[in-house]
This record gives sequence, structure tokens and C-alpha cells, in this order.
Amino acid sequence: MPEPQEPEGAIAGTGMGGAMDLAVSEATTLEKGPGQAGGPQGKPRSLWSDAWRDLRRNPVFIISGLVILFLVVISLWPSLIASGNPLKCDLAKAQEGSQPGHPFGFDGQGCDVYTRTVYGARTSVTVGVCATLGVAILGSVLGGLAGFFGGFWDSILSRITDVFFAIPVVLGGLVLLSVVTSNTVWPVIGFMVLLGWPQISRIARGSVITAKQNDYVHAAKALGASNSRQLLRHIAPNAVAPVIVVATIALGTYIALEATLSYLGVGLKPPTVSWGIDISAASAYIRQAPHMLLWPAGALALTVLAFIMLGDAVRDALDPKLR
Amino acid sequence: MLLEVRDLHVEFRTRDGVAKAVNGVDYAVDAGETLAVLGESGSGKSVTAQAIMGILDMPPGRIAGGEILFQGKDLLKLKEEERRKVRGAEMAMIFQDALSSLNPVLSVGDQLGEMFVVHRGMSKKDARAKAVELMDHVRIPAAKERVKQYPHQFSGGMRQRIMIAMALALEPALIIADEPTTALDVTVQAQVMDLLAELQREYNMGLILITHDLGVVADVADRIAVMYAGRIVEQAPVHDIYKAPAHPYTRGLLDSIPRLDQKGQELYAIKGLPPNLMAIPPGCAFNPRCPMAQELCRTDEPPLYEVSQDRTSACHFWRECLNG
Repeated sequence: MPEPQEPEGAIAGTGMGGAMDLAVSEATTLEKGPGQAGGPQGKPRSLWSDAWRDLRRNPVFIISGLVILFLVVISLWPSLIASGNPLKCDLAKAQEGSQPGHPFGFDGQGCDVYTRTVYGARTSVTVGVCATLGVAILGSVLGGLAGFFGGFWDSILSRITDVFFAIPVVLGGLVLLSVVTSNTVWPVIGFMVLLGWPQISRIARGSVITAKQNDYVHAAKALGASNSRQLLRHIAPNAVAPVIVVATIALGTYIALEATLSYLGVGLKPPTVSWGIDISAASAYIRQAPHMLLWPAGALALTVLAFIMLGDAVRDALDPKLR
Repeated sequence: MLLEVRDLHVEFRTRDGVAKAVNGVDYAVDAGETLAVLGESGSGKSVTAQAIMGILDMPPGRIAGGEILFQGKDLLKLKEEERRKVRGAEMAMIFQDALSSLNPVLSVGDQLGEMFVVHRGMSKKDARAKAVELMDHVRIPAAKERVKQYPHQFSGGMRQRIMIAMALALEPALIIADEPTTALDVTVQAQVMDLLAELQREYNMGLILITHDLGVVADVADRIAVMYAGRIVEQAPVHDIYKAPAHPYTRGLLDSIPRLDQKGQELYAIKGLPPNLMAIPPGCAFNPRCPMAQELCRTDEPPLYEVSQDRTSACHFWRECLNG
């Protein structure tokens, strides 16, 4: 278990890394227990350590964090809980229900639903995390620079975001992704980054403009800080909280979007294992074999819910005024 | 002269028109000297300071004319990068509200040390040691432990001491203090002011003290410049002004100080409001509020009259004013 961090540590965890720390160091929470949460008086406390203290006491955060931790573990090592091969199917067993060794039954191709549901997590988490990282980095860099420098390029960027906001996501996906033939997850991730960055960019721009007006930014400037130092050291750490919150919630919606696109046949394509593909295949047989639909759909719903609840908890912790 | 501001004009372009915030300010500060700049909100005292520091938001701000000579060179002609190197190292600024002037997510040690990292290229560890030294110097107890703490864990007076330490870190030649004690308790105000004055003597710095607290001024200032509507209406050694003001606005300010021997009586106030900077009245900007105003004041803008060798007044009737 890592030592309680020095103040430098609290500062280091400010960029996007902050969100990651929150999710990954979940295990630390449980070992420390709630008793120690207060910490001794007079100990250095930053916004981030305060937020972390709040989060550790929040049951919503603990539950959603555990679900997400579990998802991350099984997407890294699915064989831990599923010994079968998701692509090994036996048509003779198509649509059969639960039986020993196959708790969730079989799907229309005779593949094991349990194994496929477990392996589907990897796809969803990969798409969600990569799309969110891409969106967060691209959006906050563009939005942050536009907000800081203002002027001509800011206006141009704002109009471009308006254009992207006008594109309906599902329609855009149908049009753009239907021409892609690749079997990997990257076109889907690329599409999400392309359509998702304006949302983060707008938020980053707004919060940079707010943070820029703080006296301490003027003070830093008056004491000789360069533009990059003002932006990276004084503005970014004070403007990143809304970006983290929106990105966490967006992660859940990207997972849902991947399933939607795959369901419509333009997202991921077999043999990739995806909840969306399985839901799509199973939806025709909902009356004969509902288990084929319910397990992947349930897993999808739980995952999306976990990320949205995590985002909510993080928002409450980072912005106490919103409560 | 350490710093000479000559005929400085600053304006702000807004949707409603051009606001003329500074209209021809001249003042000068020498090493070891304290110049107090007095005036109401909106009189242009802070804007002048920001123009000197080069931290005006431009746009909407614009320096429409004038020179700012610092150690002989015109700051307005320097490139931004050269200007940045002057800020903090050669001249520094102390702000009114130390809580909002310190970054809430960085420990005070990081912020103090930043001065040495930015300007001197020191390592983080050396900068941290310097930060402790500085905090000791501005008499913050237990500096070694407190250097890791965050701004909100300090009291108002302690925070202002940290701001002072930051400004003094690189021993600049000039300090601009923009209402450094306004946000503090009266008892703490005196301590912080004393500290500032003491450090000024120690380093032989020029100090521009922006304030509207005449009590503070009397104790520490050598000279006073009174600003109104973006102009300096009177400039004089501190004792001359308190003895006999040579501008009706200065007289009004002095008369509005509450005094113990007037207990129970009505407090004097200058009638009217400061002028709208987008429509400064013709003639003398103070004429609508001036008890001594005459026809001349409504038509002719008063030049700077030389009252004595080191004293000026922008009033047509400074003689009458001086004699009460």
C-alpha cells in the first residue's frame, strides 16, 4: 500500500492523471478504513486531498469504484473468471439455457454467453477509456489554448465546435463508419474523438477563462511567470476539475455509444467480441431465448451506470458548491 | 530616478465606448522612497500600476501614450519576453487580497520557490530552502513546517506576509503595493505595514503604495500623489499635504477622515459621484463636485501649477485653496 502522499504528490495528481489515481487507488481506500479519514489537524491539505477524503466516505463512489475496478481487472485478464474461448462455438447448443459450466447459457451461434459477456468488457473498457483519453486531451488542449489566448483563433474554434455540435451522433456514425472496413476498435474510437472533443473543449475553454481572471494568475504574471507557466501551473490545475467530471461521465456514454453503433452494424464487427454485437444478434430472439439478450445488456447497463455514478461522486467531491 | 512615469494615457475599449482610465499621469519614485498614490475607486491608481507592471489585460486595455522609464529604459518599448524578465526580478507587486492572490492548489513553499525557479533557474530543493528562509524573514513562525501548507491554512496577515515575501524574493528595485492592508484587520494592518516599511529600508527599494487609507499614508509615505479621474491633481511631500492641501479634492479627502474630537457631529463627505470615465466633464474633471468651482473651471482644464519646488496642483485656484 502506498504511503499517504506528501503535498507534492497531491499536486502531481492534478492533470488527467488525477482521475486515474482516483479510480486505480481504490484498493487503498478499503485498507485504510473510514476511521483515519480525517487526518491530523494542521496537516497540509489541498483541494485534491480534500476531494479524496470526501470520496472515500461516499458509498456511491466506493460501489461504482469497485464495479469499475472489477471491470478493469477482467478486461485485462478475462481468463481469471472465464476459462473458455469466446469464439469457440457449437451450433448444436444454439439458444440453450443455463447448464453446468455454462451459467448464462448459449447464444444463437452456440457460443457461451458467460464467456462472451466477460470478454465483451475488454472491448467496452478499451473503447471507453481510449475515446475518453483522446477527447479529454484534444478537447482540453484546444479549448484551454483558445480560452487562454482568446481573440481570433478562439472565435474560429468556437464556430468549429458549433458545427460539430450540430452533427447528430448516431447519424454521423452511420454515415462515417459505414465506409470503414477495418475490423479493429480504432475507427470507432477515432469517430468518438472526432465528435466528442468539442464538448470537452467548450468546458475547458470556459473554465480556463474563469481561472484566468483569478488574482493569483495576475499575481503570477506580475512576478514574472511566462505564458506557459501561468497556463500549466496556475490555470490548468484550477480549471481541470470540470473536465475530469465531464470526462468520467462521458466515458460511460462512450461505452453506450459503442454498443449502439455496434448494434446498428456500423461499430465493431465480428469476430470482435462486443456487447453491442451480441445484443444486436440476440434481439431477434428475445421471446424464445431472453437470456441471450439480458446478460450482455445487463453488463452494459451496469458498466454505464457505474461510470456515470463515479462521475457524479467526483463532481460532488471536486465542487462542493454544486451540492 | 528609479522610475519615471511621463504623460501616461490608458484607455479601455468597451462595447459602450472608450473609457479613459488614465489621462496623462506623471510621477516618479527614487530608490528608498515611498510614494503614496491616493484616490477613490476608479481614479486610475491601480490601472497606472498595472501599466507599469505590464499586466494590463490588452485588449480591452490600451496604452494610448506616454513613457514609463525604469532605470533609464522605456518599458513600453521592450519586447514582452524582456518585460517578463523585469517583472518579479526588478519590480514586483503586492496585491490587495492575499487569499485570492495565492494559488489555492499549490503550497506556499511551491509558490515562493517558483520565483527562484523561474528567474534564477534553481532546483526545486534549493528553491524550497530559499522559501523557508524568506518565510523566516517576514517572521512567519515555524516556517520549516508551514512551508508545505496551503494558502487557506494561513491567517490573513500571514498570507499577506507571504505575498510580501514573494514580492521581495529577488530583491527588486521597485515594489508596487496595491492596497496591501485593505483586506486585513486594523491591528494586523499596522504590523504588515511596519514589516513592509522595514524591508523597504533594508533593501533600499522604491515603493509605490496605492491606498485610500490616509492614516496608513501619514506614517510611511515620503510623498503623496492624489489621483482623480485618471489625473494626478496634487503631488507633494506628505507633511505639506496634511498641513495645507493645494487642491479642493485633497481637502475634501482630508475632511472626510473621521476624527475623535468631532464625535456626534455629521461626517463630511464630498458630494456627488466620481465622473463616468466615458464622459469626463470638460474643464476640470472635479468641477461638478467642487465647492470652489467657478466659470473658468467648467471651460479650461487646469494645467499642473507648480506650488513650490517639489509640489504641484492641478487647480486654477490653488492659492485660495492653500490659504483655506
